[in-house]
Amino acid sequence: MTHTLLRPILLLSCVLLFSSCTSMQKNGAGGAGYGSDSDTVGGTPLPERQEGVSFMGDNVDKHQFPPVHFAFDSYAIDPSDEGTLQAVAQYLQSNPNTIIIAGFTDERGTPEYNRGLGESRAEAVRDYLLHHGADNSKLQTVSFGAEMPVDPDSNEDAWAKNRRAEFGVVK
Amino acid sequence: MIQSHRILLLLAFTSLTAAIAQDTPTITVSKSDTIALAIQPISGPDGAAVTRVLESDLAATGYFTLASPRSASLIVGGDSSGSSLDGKVNDHSGRAAVAGTYSGDSRAKAHAFANDIVQTLTGNRGIAGTRIAFSATHTGSKEIYIADCDGSAIQQLTHDNSISVGPALCSDGHLLAYTGYKAGYADIYLVNLSSGSRDRIIKYPGTNSGAAFSPNGDRIACTLSKDGNPELYVCNLNGGAHRLTHTPGIESSPTWSPDGGEIIYSYDDHGGPQLYRISSGGGYGEPISTGYGYCTEPDWSPDGAKLAFNVRQNGSFAVAVMDLRGGGTRIVAEGERPVWGPDSRHLIFSDDGVLYLMDVQSGRKKAIVSGLGRATEPTWAH
Repeated sequence: MTHTLLRPILLLSCVLLFSSCTSMQKNGAGGAGYGSDSDTVGGTPLPERQEGVSFMGDNVDKHQFPPVHFAFDSYAIDPSDEGTLQAVAQYLQSNPNTIIIAGFTDERGTPEYNRGLGESRAEAVRDYLLHHGADNSKLQTVSFGAEMPVDPDSNEDAWAKNRRAEFGVVK
Repeated sequence: MIQSHRILLLLAFTSLTAAIAQDTPTITVSKSDTIALAIQPISGPDGAAVTRVLESDLAATGYFTLASPRSASLIVGGDSSGSSLDGKVNDHSGRAAVAGTYSGDSRAKAHAFANDIVQTLTGNRGIAGTRIAFSATHTGSKEIYIADCDGSAIQQLTHDNSISVGPALCSDGHLLAYTGYKAGYADIYLVNLSSGSRDRIIKYPGTNSGAAFSPNGDRIACTLSKDGNPELYVCNLNGGAHRLTHTPGIESSPTWSPDGGEIIYSYDDHGGPQLYRISSGGGYGEPISTGYGYCTEPDWSPDGAKLAFNVRQNGSFAVAVMDLRGGGTRIVAEGERPVWGPDSRHLIFSDDGVLYLMDVQSGRKKAIVSGLGRATEPTWAH
């Protein structure tokens, strides 16, 4: 690992470079101005999909990294998940593999809104990884909304587990 | 003479409903608001089948009370043979209020006659035989189904053993768009229900979902995340996406105004999603004040006057109807994803996996789809 020494410096500079941008995005509509003409507010465009590769495919490892979790109706990154996210960012920097980030919601909320919320969770994770040195060309997102819960029960414990983003590492 | 009779009936009926609508914000309809009809058995080889469908159709409209010939003001009758139904509605003096020849199979003939009766006597469009679609879990996977709006003639449309959700029918019901995960991502598929052909038409990187046809069916409004965040776009059926919104939040569930000039949608603006309206050419979204904190999945009525949507209160969902001209909002039922019928009077929505048809004016509702696992996300051609 030749980058061991450089990595903390790189991470630090990335954090400094993007901290203002990140906080603007997390603070949301109020700061950015609803209906702004700016095209930068929405984030970085996704790269083209790789043909035949998807989160549901056989050639995707969904268990290399644990999922990260979210509060109800929120897509803000939880500070307790930063260790996982930094590990993913480091993996992306030292490997050629693409990662598909899949966003999920709990069963509360209506289906189409949940598909949007799941996508925003995946995009929030993607933004974090991009701001921590990941190459945009190696990240895809997908939202499953409230489909495919890890826990089908209807209680707080189950809902907390289901509000998540998973990482599919393309082998 | 027939013509003048029709106009008289129409005026008497509309003035009555208008007066009631002005007096009370919650419209309750008594029996006197309906026209008393007697249905005499239709004669002919399939007369019994036609009569059954006609009775069901006319009762479901909300405009009529089915009565005995003596107490009815109008008498429905007819003769059915082959693919043709001669239908008529007479008053007690024998003068025809409605008369016509309707073609098709037993159901189609009866639906056409019922809709002509509604149109002629009330001036409003009928819903008989109009098409709906929805998602259901009967097979263990979410698949798309199509049916008539009374829950009859149910057909499973997709067999993908994947996740197929969020169907949308175009106005005349011959095109259906939905969100499908067959390729592993959320993409928008277009099915031509006349030819049976299916194409994956919107498949940008990220999630493509929430399709809604423009009133003339040539464009689809939807949510795409290809630019790094869920935003509203208008897409042509043969490609190209025009971006409408530019925000950091989540836009979803567009619904078109009847003239195609505007779109109402849901936007999460902190503290829960709210409804906004924007020009269908893009620009600035303006908030709509509903009085509720969590509003999603709006549906604009075909007459342009009303908006139905979900509100979340006390942890469950209710169907809200907003008067877009007067501004008032009221809760009409427990349930979610309300969609208007062609008459702008009936809604279909889901509640606990069952689809209901509701007459918003009278508050009457009945289950139309049950026993297909969980049936959700209805759409109704209008």
